Amino acid sequence: MSSGTFLGGIHPPAHKEATKGLAIEDAPLPGELFVPLHQHLGAPCTACVEVGQQVPKGQKIGDTEAFVSAPVHSPVSGKVTAIEKRRSFTGQEVLGVAIAVGSAEDQKATAYLEKIANWRETQPDVIRTRVREAGIVGLGGAAFPTSVKLSPPADCPIDTIIINGCECEPFLTCDHRLLLEKAEDVIVGALIMKQVLGASRVIIGIEDNKPDAIAHVTGVASGYPEVTVVGLHTKYPQGAEKQLIKATLDREVPARGLPMKVGALVQNVGTALAVAEAVLEGKPLIERVVTVSGPGVKRPCNLRVPLGTGLSHLLEQAGGLNAFAERLVLGGPMTGWAQADLGASVVKGTGGLLALDRAMAASRDEFLDCVRCQRCAQVCPMYLYPNFLATAAELKQWPVADREGALDCIECGACAFGCPSRRPMVRFIREAKAAVAEMQRA
Amino acid sequence: MGRERTFIVTDPPHLSSGETVPRAMLDTMLALLPVTLVSVYFYRLNAVFLIAVCLGACVLTDVIARRIKGRRPSVSDLSVFVTGLILALCFSPLTPWWTVVFASILAVGIGKEWMGGLGWNRFNPAAFGRAGVIILAPVTVFLSRQFAGLGVRFPMSPEVVDSLTGATPLAMMARAELEIPHLRLLLAYPSGGGLAETSALALLLGGAYLLYRRHITWHIPVSILATVAVFTAVIGHNPLDHLLVGGLMLGALFMATDWVTSPITNPGRIIFGVMIGLLVVVFRVFLGPTEGVAFAILITNAFVPLIDGLTRRGVFGRVHAMKAAAAKAPTTKTA
Repeated sequence: MSSGTFLGGIHPPAHKEATKGLAIEDAPLPGELFVPLHQHLGAPCTACVEVGQQVPKGQKIGDTEAFVSAPVHSPVSGKVTAIEKRRSFTGQEVLGVAIAVGSAEDQKATAYLEKIANWRETQPDVIRTRVREAGIVGLGGAAFPTSVKLSPPADCPIDTIIINGCECEPFLTCDHRLLLEKAEDVIVGALIMKQVLGASRVIIGIEDNKPDAIAHVTGVASGYPEVTVVGLHTKYPQGAEKQLIKATLDREVPARGLPMKVGALVQNVGTALAVAEAVLEGKPLIERVVTVSGPGVKRPCNLRVPLGTGLSHLLEQAGGLNAFAERLVLGGPMTGWAQADLGASVVKGTGGLLALDRAMAASRDEFLDCVRCQRCAQVCPMYLYPNFLATAAELKQWPVADREGALDCIECGACAFGCPSRRPMVRFIREAKAAVAEMQRA
Repeated sequence: MGRERTFIVTDPPHLSSGETVPRAMLDTMLALLPVTLVSVYFYRLNAVFLIAVCLGACVLTDVIARRIKGRRPSVSDLSVFVTGLILALCFSPLTPWWTVVFASILAVGIGKEWMGGLGWNRFNPAAFGRAGVIILAPVTVFLSRQFAGLGVRFPMSPEVVDSLTGATPLAMMARAELEIPHLRLLLAYPSGGGLAETSALALLLGGAYLLYRRHITWHIPVSILATVAVFTAVIGHNPLDHLLVGGLMLGALFMATDWVTSPITNPGRIIFGVMIGLLVVVFRVFLGPTEGVAFAILITNAFVPLIDGLTRRGVFGRVHAMKAAAAKAPTTKTA
């Protein structure tokens, strides 16, 4: 059944030693949060609070009627000081709610949802609504609303829930730590989703560079016959949805199709935990674990912080930056977003904040033409020929880029990692994707 | 910890393997070092002079050809040095310098830069230069008249001179009277052919290094050499005669494996190698002993887009997925 791997992929240095042994810390609260109203894939929320209003921890502060979306909650008890646009981690201006964090005493006031203790006897729709109301989205990075994933059409029955514990991005250890510290809750979250979808089993996939997590979770899962833990080869991008399904089930998701087409649902470790907390404790998604690491950080750590925490506060908890920190990346080093400054804040999809030095960070500002060395085609997990695709994009030959599978690209960056011409493959392909999508609409 | 501190913004991924084109080119030159040293051992300053002239002419051609197009020189990617070195190793130490310069201009000026520069050239530049001076023999004859008396020759040991002035092994082989022991051809022998034809072993060492560094795969060299061996055995020749003489080793390991001008799929590389192997034997056996390898590589280079197109794999989930999904998915299984 399980091959434990997929074709292609790369072996970047893991860089996880600095934080993988460090327990998750609760960071002290910052003075102010800025909670964007658009932290997920899909429609943005509109604010449902007013400036000057007192909000208890967990109160909904933004929502929308759109199906593909997720509401946003106040991560702390405090006072709304502004509803304005600020620059987000992507560099775009995003509307958000600024909240002045109240006193420690204030934090005892919470506005959580009602607990659902007997979830095994609860209707799937009630749980779906709960997941939606709790604002849960995929915490692996893409931030796709979880309630949508839990609502497949009738002709796509789901038989397997896959919990993604690969954490194939270098540096990041937040999922590793959750597996060690919260395995029971992660499994319960997975079982809740399994019940909602009427699936028959849960598979927890963990890369074999985390033997402690595999051993621990296997031990915890032994009490649940329908849960299997699978050790997977350590290879990037093992945690990409389609590659993970290939590795665990040996099923190939149809091109440009969704995992439900092959009866699978993939959820990140953190997402499963959030589902468990939302159902059992009524707690909305208001905090997450962020790995702060990299050679430019003085005290690498795994921090549990409220959403909306500013990057500068995050770095203060990590002892600040070294003088040689040259690049700041939000997310993993392969797919994360470079930050020009510390102005952005943590959102639901933020798994890491990395400070890289000159020796490590790759510049693709100056690059050569493709020399057809074929390394990219060898490693592309989507079996594309990134060399042809990126060159077509560079030359703005959009129909060629379309034929080369621009829309199949998952932007994992494996091609650019090993490119001896240092070509900015991902940038080229993103341009092609936008142009091809535009072309198809026309 | 002020917000005023700013950072460099670059595209993802923010890590890299550290592999670069100049590094790979340096590796290729390193791989050619053993055979270069053997040729210098036999031909002394003649080999040094020929290589220096060729490298110099190639670099100069690069700078001038790119200036004409208004582009900066591409010397820093080091590919022009690899072209120059391989081209030099294709020539006999008796080749006059003007022929080598002419070949360099053809290789880098036309074979590479006119075709769009590194990455866009359809034909291996070194093979293009080497074959070009044969096709354009009238030009080399003309040059020889112009520069007559300006030839440069350095002293060599008498035995080497003897073997140089005699028939080359390739010519002997064409008449089916190869008299040199195979072991000598493998290890070191001043064959009178190209500089690289002094030691098959040194070339194999270099090829092994390129394989170890993963700059090339086994598909092209093995399929070329195997095809030559099988084909020559079938027509009743001794395969070793063919494998160890002429530019076959240099071509199979260093010219046919050129990234830019070889197929990008492994099945395609085998097809490519088999085609080259067949052509080499046809040229050698039926058309006489002149640079069959360079011509075979050039001709097959032209087929690369076709081979690539025929051997490409399908995108993930596009070919097998629908079948697989229908067969496997919706049935409820228990783990």
